[in-house]
Amino acid sequence: MSLRELAWRVTARELESSLEEEKGGGERPVAHVLSPFGARMNRVLVAGTLAPAEPIGRDDPPTFWRSRLTDPTGAVAVTAGGFQPRAMAQLRAVPVPRPSIVVGKVHLYRGRDSVAYVSVRAEAVRAVAEGEERAALADIARQSLDRLDLLERLEKEPAVTDETLVRSGAPRPWVVAARDALRRYPNVDRAAFRRELRSVVRRVAGDSGPVVSPGPPPPTVRVTRDPPPAPPRPAPTPAERQDESVFLDLVDELAENSVDGYADLQDLLERIAQRGVGGDRAESTLNRLEEGGVIEEPIVGKLRRAS
Amino acid sequence: MPDEAAAPTIPEVRLRDLRPSAGPVEILARVVAFQRREVTLRSDGSRRPLLSGLLSDGTATIRFTWWDPPAEGIERGTVLRAVGVEIGEFRGRPELSFTWRTRVAPASPAELPKVDTEENPVRPVAELRPSDEGFRAEVRVVRVAARTVSVGEERRVVHEGLVADASGTIALSAWSDFGLKAGEAVRIAGGYVRGFRGRPQLVLDERTTVVRLDRTDLPDPAQVLRAPPRSIAEVEDEGGGAAVALDGMVVGLAPPSGVVYRCPTCRRPVSAGVCRLHGQVEGVADLRARIVLDDGTGSATVAAGREVTERLWGVTLAEALRRLKEQPDPTLIAEQMLEALLGRRLRVRGPASRDDFGLTIVPESIDPVDVDLAATADELAARLGG
Repeated sequence: MSLRELAWRVTARELESSLEEEKGGGERPVAHVLSPFGARMNRVLVAGTLAPAEPIGRDDPPTFWRSRLTDPTGAVAVTAGGFQPRAMAQLRAVPVPRPSIVVGKVHLYRGRDSVAYVSVRAEAVRAVAEGEERAALADIARQSLDRLDLLERLEKEPAVTDETLVRSGAPRPWVVAARDALRRYPNVDRAAFRRELRSVVRRVAGDSGPVVSPGPPPPTVRVTRDPPPAPPRPAPTPAERQDESVFLDLVDELAENSVDGYADLQDLLERIAQRGVGGDRAESTLNRLEEGGVIEEPIVGKLRRAS
Repeated sequence: MPDEAAAPTIPEVRLRDLRPSAGPVEILARVVAFQRREVTLRSDGSRRPLLSGLLSDGTATIRFTWWDPPAEGIERGTVLRAVGVEIGEFRGRPELSFTWRTRVAPASPAELPKVDTEENPVRPVAELRPSDEGFRAEVRVVRVAARTVSVGEERRVVHEGLVADASGTIALSAWSDFGLKAGEAVRIAGGYVRGFRGRPQLVLDERTTVVRLDRTDLPDPAQVLRAPPRSIAEVEDEGGGAAVALDGMVVGLAPPSGVVYRCPTCRRPVSAGVCRLHGQVEGVADLRARIVLDDGTGSATVAAGREVTERLWGVTLAEALRRLKEQPDPTLIAEQMLEALLGRRLRVRGPASRDDFGLTIVPESIDPVDVDLAATADELAARLGG
């Protein structure tokens, strides 16, 4: 089935918070960017103030343009290249910051520093009257809230079936997205996001739009944030705890008897192997203890208890 | 040739009980509708006549194809006994085919199974599926209008409309005049259901009986025709509906949109100057738009014809053709159309069906949707708690 992907109504903040991706399978794979707030996005509809575009790359004439869309919650990069000639023309036609609606595909790029960059590759861009921008933001705020309510319900009733949710009016794609969001982002402050939606509602009510500095946009649009939260480590098993305590006893023993006060790693591994904790098991015990901040290796090959 | 004595007892089967996997069967049924045509065989290019249509025995109505049929003697209403009928399957429903192996002979209507339509169960319209028969429906006529259509060579009047009960709405087409009027409650017995443009349609023919009812508990026409919009996801989940309302925003246009050329005889789109049915033709210009409407829960294609497209776009076919003459690039027309439509909020009413490409709605009405920003902001602020 090659069903058209729906356009999720989202804020810049929700896009900025999206760090997880799901690659599709099959002949024509469809990738989805998962948000912590219950969107499973391939295509999105965003509204806000669109800044004039800047060319990217060294091609002459430029074949790739980037702009920035600012809404009351944040900003997101909007790009268009030669494969979207119409969107590119529309993006280039923005002379001064203007209220706009953008429909496009979400891209998640993770740099080497594991910082995630989200951008929207425009399929269609339209400058709109302020009233239309506010109406689009009203949709965005309402649907963001509806999705948060759905997440809350799922958290309270984890056993509820999809059919029950759908019968009570939840759109089926939202149910799928909500389950993904809870699984992939177990520890996210959704209440804070809910509070941020107030700024969108104030804009719907008629407060002035986000302040966009006139003049050229900054040279690059960087959406930086903390690396994704590490999945919670499973609690060590009793056997692992046993290995850890054997390990620590040896560290203490070797350190006490050494000249420099460190336990030599080579000695340690030999001794612990004699006690039946060898190879991978010793290695992983060491890693656990180091990551847990129990021991440290200030000099390569020399261990001690962390201070 | 199979030895006649070797297959003496092929069981006579009621159409209701046909299963696609079963072997050849004997059936006894009435021809409800049929048309003749010729197909060109891919193997040797020869032409072969066939007759196809619907058969009914009062328990179900089923499509059938008759290869190399007799040149005459088949009428609407003819009762046939056929032995050695092959059962095939099309989209999950059984279909019959009469091949060179099948022996067909006329039979008497008196031989048909006795089905007292007044004893059939009353079924909710939302549950009716193509080829269903042997039920009664108690419904309100939401609307009905007569239309003349050509069936083969023949011109016939068909009364088309919409009927509803508490479970839902279904399209109706009556091939006899039952004097149906919008607003009245009726019990329909002896009708059958066929698939029409991806939706079930309740068909009434000369065997059907209609009784007026005094019922106040059936939905009234205004309720059906002015029902509030529902989410696209929900309508998609249900596979469409005979009368649905969708609210959404225009997020794109699906091809083909813009100026298209149609066969002057059948109005099918012409591709490279060739009509699928009528060969080389001089295409007639037309304007259409396949609008992608999206409400954030799903998307639907609105199949807009010329009149709706002209009204929404604000550009007539004549103007579009003039622009095309100036700049002979059809994609430009589609782009200009999208620029005018993108982001527009529309409420679309009409029948909607779902296929492999998603939900398609044929608009009976399209209206702009205005948003009361102040009221919406208040409502959202209240939900957010100050």
